Amino acid sequence: MVRTPDQKGPAAPGDADPSAFLDPRSRHVQLLPLGDVDGVAVSVAAANLQAVLGLPADVRPPAGDPDYALIPARRQYDALPILKAMEEGVPPGTLRLGIMNGDLCLPIFSYVLGEAQVNGRAAVISLFRLQQGEDGRPSPPGRVYERLAKVALHEVAHVLGLTHCREEGCLMRFSLGVEHIDELVMRFCPECELRILRARRGPP
Amino acid sequence: MSAFRILVVDDEEAMRESLAAWLEKAGHDVAMASGGERALEILGEQPCDLALVDIKMPGMDGHELLRHIKEDHPRVMVVMITAYGSIESAVECMKQGANDYLLKPFDPEHLMLLIEKLAKQKEVMDEYHVMQARLAEWDAGGFEDLLGQSLPMKKVFRQIEEVAQADTPVLINGETGTGKELVARAVHVRSLRTYGPFIPVNCGAVPEHLLESELFGHERGAFTGAVKTRLGRLEMANQGTLFLDEVGEIGLAMQVNLLRALEEKRFLRLGGQREVESDFRLICATHRDLDRLVEEGRIRSDFYYRINVITIRVPPLRERPDDVPLLAHHFLQGFVREMGRRVDGIAPAALRLLQGYDWPGNVRELKNVIERAVVVNRSGTIEEDDLTFLRAGEPGRTGIESLEEVEADHIRKTLEACGWNISRAARLLGIHRGTLTRRMKKHGLDKGS
Repeated sequence: MVRTPDQKGPAAPGDADPSAFLDPRSRHVQLLPLGDVDGVAVSVAAANLQAVLGLPADVRPPAGDPDYALIPARRQYDALPILKAMEEGVPPGTLRLGIMNGDLCLPIFSYVLGEAQVNGRAAVISLFRLQQGEDGRPSPPGRVYERLAKVALHEVAHVLGLTHCREEGCLMRFSLGVEHIDELVMRFCPECELRILRARRGPP
Repeated sequence: MSAFRILVVDDEEAMRESLAAWLEKAGHDVAMASGGERALEILGEQPCDLALVDIKMPGMDGHELLRHIKEDHPRVMVVMITAYGSIESAVECMKQGANDYLLKPFDPEHLMLLIEKLAKQKEVMDEYHVMQARLAEWDAGGFEDLLGQSLPMKKVFRQIEEVAQADTPVLINGETGTGKELVARAVHVRSLRTYGPFIPVNCGAVPEHLLESELFGHERGAFTGAVKTRLGRLEMANQGTLFLDEVGEIGLAMQVNLLRALEEKRFLRLGGQREVESDFRLICATHRDLDRLVEEGRIRSDFYYRINVITIRVPPLRERPDDVPLLAHHFLQGFVREMGRRVDGIAPAALRLLQGYDWPGNVRELKNVIERAVVVNRSGTIEEDDLTFLRAGEPGRTGIESLEEVEADHIRKTLEACGWNISRAARLLGIHRGTLTRRMKKHGLDKGS
């Protein structure tokens, strides 16, 4: 069963997987828009995951806004229940990346740009803070897409088992805000690249 | 910045787990506790660099936990976490010794910058502790015991200066009590690693089955009795010098493990999954003839060549009798100061007696003799009479010995060197095992004699 845009919630176990034709021995990524997310942004993220990480990526039909994770007092979404819901029904070898508009946070942190399960199955990223520049004004779409692609690569690499890197300019380096993301180029350091190469082969 | 071992203490599961997961992503090693009591248990089991402690918890709250940590684990840094509106409480914690505080929810970059700041503080503190230990070492006079004006000792001092900065492995050879560890410390102090730790391991004193854990460390639960994670000596020696004393006592299997660790400077703790890196300089010492042990197949040749890049031979005291007065006076001053006794010097006749003795226990034996002489002395000057026990013991060169006495003495020393293994001693002496047994009986020699 293929989900349509008006269906709510993440994919359930037992759903037919349209990416089943992919080589089951290698890993691939499903991109899952959570709510009414800009389709171009999702495509840009998918293209970069494929080009930079070498992971086949397919865009799933959008699921609904993750209202179950909303913290009304903070007007933010708790990333942890979203990850928990997203990992359900993920086929072996598949990683799932959720993309949403709402502002993400963790109970202890005032915000996060994205959150991932290290060595797990799911990650989620938000466009909310990527759309603003340092001066608080909206950033041009091209800049926003580039930031989104970098955050997507960073979080999916976490799912592949990578931790933060100390190397200057590496996409796995912890970013001190959006302007710091802009300074990065779209690449990992050689050591992280090697780890990705090993990890994307998936479990033996 | 190297990875920290961080303890997260919070009674709220969501807070605890989200913080722990984020810290793990940053590459840190994280433990979690849901309350103060459990936190103290964990700190008792495993060393931590930093504790992130929520102030408001049921049972033992953050204030009380902070007090316990500062009392029992003073080197653990503590950052208090509190909600908006209770900032006074956080300030109170700072007065109690907390390193910093965070108001939750906080920005992730604040936490990252705070950990970086604490890592720098830790580096400074670690350096300070190393310097303190170094000063204590100098105060204790351990380094100063390496004395001598004789030609053989001048050669040793010259070699120490030559090899100190080379960062290559050094093998120190010498009889028991000649001061091999002092030579190793002298090399370390003059090396570029002088601000790093000097970690000695007496391989002969640690039972073989415990040596692996002693050297490589172990993870909690690696074996029965491994109730907490323990760092091995190799890991402790990072940035410093690892001194393996009595290296000839290491078994063949352990030599293989050690060789790999020495070559790659990385290894696994017992029961560990993640390789640990340690950058250290290796200095080994032995009183044995390692060439012979290699020939006998008791030391692997690859291991031998790895540890024997530069050799320093420390001469026995009998080869440098001119140094005896200098050493005797040096030890005398130390014991007089330590015991608060009034002993002004050593009489010439007593000095001659000391110089005439052959010192099988070398400098260590001389030090013990002077200590005993200071204890028994009543006249204020060490006389021959204060050294009667010396004449009653080993005859040495103080008197003419009969052939029988020389033989008995030689057999006993050989047996001691072979750990009272009769077959090995017979081989060394070049006589039949049965002959040795008969002569042992004749001279009344047995392990307990």
